[in-house]
Amino acid sequence: MDQKTRKDLLKLFQGKLNEAMTFYLETCTRCGVCIEACHVYASMGQVRYIAAYRQEIVRRIYKKYFKARGKVWPSVGEAKELNEMALEELYEAAYSCTGCRRCMVYCPFGIDTQMIMSIAKLLLIGAHSEPEILTLLADTSIEKGKSLDIFKESFLVGIKKLEKEVVKKWEMEAGETVIPMDVEGADLLFVALAGAHSIIPTAAIFNAAGENWTLSFFEAVNFGAFAGDPARTKLILDRIVNEAKRLKVKEVCICECGTAFRVMKQLAGKQPFKVSSVTEVHARYIKEGRIKLDRSILNGVVTYHDPCQIARNGDVIDAPRYILKHLTNDFREMSPDPTYNWCCGGGGGLVALGEETLDFRMKSSKVKADQIKRAEATTVVTACENCHTQLCNLNDHYQMGTDVKFLSSMVADALVQK
Amino acid sequence: MDTLYYFVLIYMVYFSFAVFFVGTGIRLVKIFRKPKQSTSLQIYPEKRPKWLWALHDTFLFPSVRKHKPILWIFLILFHACLLLLIIGHLELFSEFRIFQIIPHEVFLGKGFVGLILCLALLFFLFRRFLSPVRELSVPEDYYLLILLFLIVLFGSQMDWARRWYGYEELLVEDYRTYLLSLLTLKPELPYNVINSGHSFMLVLHVLFANLFLIFFPFSQSMHSFLSLPMNKLRRG
Repeated sequence: MDQKTRKDLLKLFQGKLNEAMTFYLETCTRCGVCIEACHVYASMGQVRYIAAYRQEIVRRIYKKYFKARGKVWPSVGEAKELNEMALEELYEAAYSCTGCRRCMVYCPFGIDTQMIMSIAKLLLIGAHSEPEILTLLADTSIEKGKSLDIFKESFLVGIKKLEKEVVKKWEMEAGETVIPMDVEGADLLFVALAGAHSIIPTAAIFNAAGENWTLSFFEAVNFGAFAGDPARTKLILDRIVNEAKRLKVKEVCICECGTAFRVMKQLAGKQPFKVSSVTEVHARYIKEGRIKLDRSILNGVVTYHDPCQIARNGDVIDAPRYILKHLTNDFREMSPDPTYNWCCGGGGGLVALGEETLDFRMKSSKVKADQIKRAEATTVVTACENCHTQLCNLNDHYQMGTDVKFLSSMVADALVQK
Repeated sequence: MDTLYYFVLIYMVYFSFAVFFVGTGIRLVKIFRKPKQSTSLQIYPEKRPKWLWALHDTFLFPSVRKHKPILWIFLILFHACLLLLIIGHLELFSEFRIFQIIPHEVFLGKGFVGLILCLALLFFLFRRFLSPVRELSVPEDYYLLILLFLIVLFGSQMDWARRWYGYEELLVEDYRTYLLSLLTLKPELPYNVINSGHSFMLVLHVLFANLFLIFFPFSQSMHSFLSLPMNKLRRG
């Protein structure tokens, strides 16, 4: 690595060093309480997957270049030079971490490993060593925001095709709009994913509840956040924020996607609209009596997988349980405490990387598979696209023989037509 | 030999305390003046009042109690005894009525405070020899534990001698004369302090303590100041 590259990378590093990040880099006592916290370590038993070890990979570079000690006495903290090998280590640490923040619950100080890994991810982008596909996907999203008009027509045609499916789940009177788009003054803007499965059930539920809603032109997922690129993350987020402001909606409702929800809720800042997850909105409809669900459709034991970014990191914990109580009499908790739920093993961009990470995802999530098996459920429900994909993969790989379902589609299937 | 005693017991003490206070102060000011994190770092579900739970997390280490109960016992003992030690040392400057609410003889704890600390430090040290904590540890972690162990061992030795085997050459009054003279910037070394059979222990105790104080602001020991604000971030 030449001097110039290193200097540029260290500048990126420096930019990350706000107060909280400095707390996290200065404090670790390597006490080892976090050892059992990481699902990757719990499944694979390799030391490099312990939270504190992952952090040290970044921290050693911090000690070398951002502490006086790095010049006077580097060996005392095993300070390390930033070079090609270090980049490889950073890649390994960052892209084997799903950012679930389970270790943060264990740490006596509350060190946020995900945040430290964001330094690693940013350095990788700076060195053009990040997984290209994530940046590519992020750029596509940004491009779509810039030139919406080109996409608009084909998108509207595509959405029109879905309407038939929506009506199958919830009948509408002739003349009513099944999937409203671009409605100024709507109460709620629904931000879905590119797949039909993310739009159809929820559209039916909105119509059943008589919601004054409108569908966003953009997909909720934020590949910028997966790649750990603050600039791209913001650009992708801004597309939705601007659309919400243009349509003057009161509420932005994010589909079943953990990253999208957390980014929108915590990164959007103060806005004239409130941010909710689709799960919260559905629970609200049930509570207000706007939709009724048929409890007899679902058979067998049902368990719920809390998506990390939605539950532990997003505070949507009671809503899914409330919904499930209206869907089944046989709900069983997977983990006695949702804060300690194992990550599915697919977060942080790992599922988005697809086949490339499949082998690692299966090996690193053995504890998750065991946890699901222990629940002895016939159906595993979740409310996050990534978790759903990963749980399906686990289901196949570990031959668990369970149904993996989205909470929203279960609500849609159980709607009672008045 | 006297020169060495003077150096360690007077000049180096001033230097170490200066590094400790100025170093820690500057570092804390620098850290707290950095831009604040704009997004939430909270873990849910939340409990209110948040500040009270942050205090609870900082001083009672509930996550350690839950996941590593034996380590937790030693950690609590260690930190509690550390607090008693600080009080004990303050009483070596002069009498504080507030500390005598529970009447006791200086030094606090009948010698057991130091003994518990020694055992806790050995526990922490030997823990680090075992995998996987061994792979996580860096030299700093060992140096700090060894330094603390030496400080506590030589310090306690003087206390144990008076308490447990009646070797009463260095008295509380001698320490008070010495420490107050340091505090009032008119340093003097009373005859007993440098000529008793225990002076050697005292010099070693002070030497290691000096080294610890000098290293403190630059080491992970800063967690003593940063733990509370970090726990507050987690509690929201």
